[in-house]
Amino acid sequence: MNVTLTALIEQIANGTMMGAIYVLVALGLVLIFGVMGVLNFAHGVLFMAGGYTCEFFFVHLFGSYPVAVILTMVTLALAGLALEWAVFRRLRVNVPMQIVASLGLILMAQNAAVLLFGPSALQLSVPTVHSFVHIGELSFTVQHVVVIAVGVVVIALLQAFLHWTTLGTALRATSQNPDAARVIGIDPDRIYRITFAASCALAGLGGALLGPLFLIFPQMGDLPMLKGLTAIVLGGMGSIPGAIIGGFAIGIIEAVSTLFISTDYRDMVVFVILIAILLVRPWGLFGVRVRGEA
Amino acid sequence: MRTRVMRLIVGIAFAAALFLLAFAFEHSPYVLFALTLTLCYAIPAMALNLLLGYTGLVSLGHMGFAGIGAYVTALLMKRSGLPFVPSLLAGALAAGLAGALAGVPCLRLRSHFFIIVTLAVGIVLYLLFNNLDWLTGGAAGLPGIPRPRPIDLGVAVLDARRPVGIYLVAVTIFLLVFALQYGLVHSDFGRSLAAIRQDETLAASRGVDVFAHKLAIFALSAAIAGLGGGLLVTFLRAAAPQSFGFLEDINLLLIVIVGGAGSLFGPTLGAFLFIALPEALRVADSVRMLLFGAALLALALLAPRGLWGLAAAAAQRLRGAKSAVSHAERS
Repeated sequence: MNVTLTALIEQIANGTMMGAIYVLVALGLVLIFGVMGVLNFAHGVLFMAGGYTCEFFFVHLFGSYPVAVILTMVTLALAGLALEWAVFRRLRVNVPMQIVASLGLILMAQNAAVLLFGPSALQLSVPTVHSFVHIGELSFTVQHVVVIAVGVVVIALLQAFLHWTTLGTALRATSQNPDAARVIGIDPDRIYRITFAASCALAGLGGALLGPLFLIFPQMGDLPMLKGLTAIVLGGMGSIPGAIIGGFAIGIIEAVSTLFISTDYRDMVVFVILIAILLVRPWGLFGVRVRGEA
Repeated sequence: MRTRVMRLIVGIAFAAALFLLAFAFEHSPYVLFALTLTLCYAIPAMALNLLLGYTGLVSLGHMGFAGIGAYVTALLMKRSGLPFVPSLLAGALAAGLAGALAGVPCLRLRSHFFIIVTLAVGIVLYLLFNNLDWLTGGAAGLPGIPRPRPIDLGVAVLDARRPVGIYLVAVTIFLLVFALQYGLVHSDFGRSLAAIRQDETLAASRGVDVFAHKLAIFALSAAIAGLGGGLLVTFLRAAAPQSFGFLEDINLLLIVIVGGAGSLFGPTLGAFLFIALPEALRVADSVRMLLFGAALLALALLAPRGLWGLAAAAAQRLRGAKSAVSHAERS
């Protein structure tokens, strides 16, 4: 095994960057699932929409990447409000139809992207991709650092919001017991709207951050969504710390695995580990064992 | 009693109609192609329906099992020169074993957890088909799968190398699986599955071994999917990993849900809608796919039990209206 320490550190850094993206996706998924009991399989196209929206704002309107990212989050939050009202509110109890609706949304969004922006992938050429950070003999784009930093800040802000604000507490209360929340004067519908909007904003942020490093294309959200789903199952469905650790773990494991085995099997490693862990702990690493659930 | 006779008549008429279609379209190979392809997908769809519709388990990795059946069937026929029927059965058996193995970790989970893990199983299987170049031919696929040899039936020769022949083979297998589906649903085993779907805890308390039942139906369903996969690649004469990937998993799930999960004819209706119609309409460009997506969304919102459910509800309402009228007339 000729794995140098440098290569290992490089892959860990790459993995942490991808992990931060997966965490953004996983947090969006786990928020909706925890609060509404809805699994949004269309989360990947919101990620993709984030990439395209950011490209649009950056290239055609403002030319400032941070402004474009913030506007992307606002746009996606509004899209989330619309989606929650028009679709997911009506399907809260019907799991198979949640899947059908999600797939309908995926088809609509991916083909709309082709019609609006053309079938070829777009490049989002922001300044941070062209400048580099050197650490010893390693070099990374500044965008790598930006992704990790933004990821960490968002995680911290979300935790602060959930635990230190009234609205965040109301959100956690609704996720524990919507009826009891209603009794003490919380409007669950309002909480559902806010949760869905926040979740979509996070997905959009993920797309806006990854877009400059990879390309922007209609299917760009598919793999991040699958990894995000894996992260929330690995961490324990409904557990926010689980989603964070699960996301980073998946990013690092798949990056490091490329040092030892062919990249063809990179995606497989993650799913095999997921199945193996669920054999031992069906309720995930950080999930709570619910009687009858697992 | 009367309903049972009615059902038998409907069943025989349905089977006869399928066979007669072969002669109606004897000279339009393209229609037969689309119909055969529909039947090839209707078989895994019925397999998934046993899980989704009758047991309440949503599996998103079923085309992976169909793929196992497909590759085992293809390799046995191509490399070992085994005849069609034993190869197909071996493929189904292999898929069933894989289903049993995968079922042990998957079935300990419920609802959303189960969906995601079956999805992971499906993706792992796809990646294996795609990357085990020495066995499956990798991304390029496995071409040159032989069709079954002609069988002399006395009055006629069934030549599966002709479109009519392979269509008749597909109809036969389809009808056998349909009969199996019917028999299962109306057996004690099927009723136990329905009990599990409705209330697992209650079923367990009435003495149903929930895990054993789920594992049995999961393995059986994987085996049937494998049978469909084997038939599909024999028909297409080539096996390719993309036929068993994530998108196909989604497609199969749509076939079952849109057609109507939990009804005997639902999966077949769905397969017709998703395989034959797009083939006829040549759905490929973005605008039509966009409209198709919108139709799915509308369906999810307006027909919570699928198209067959919608039709059944409409029929019920019609009957209800009629009986209300006759009731009013009597009083």
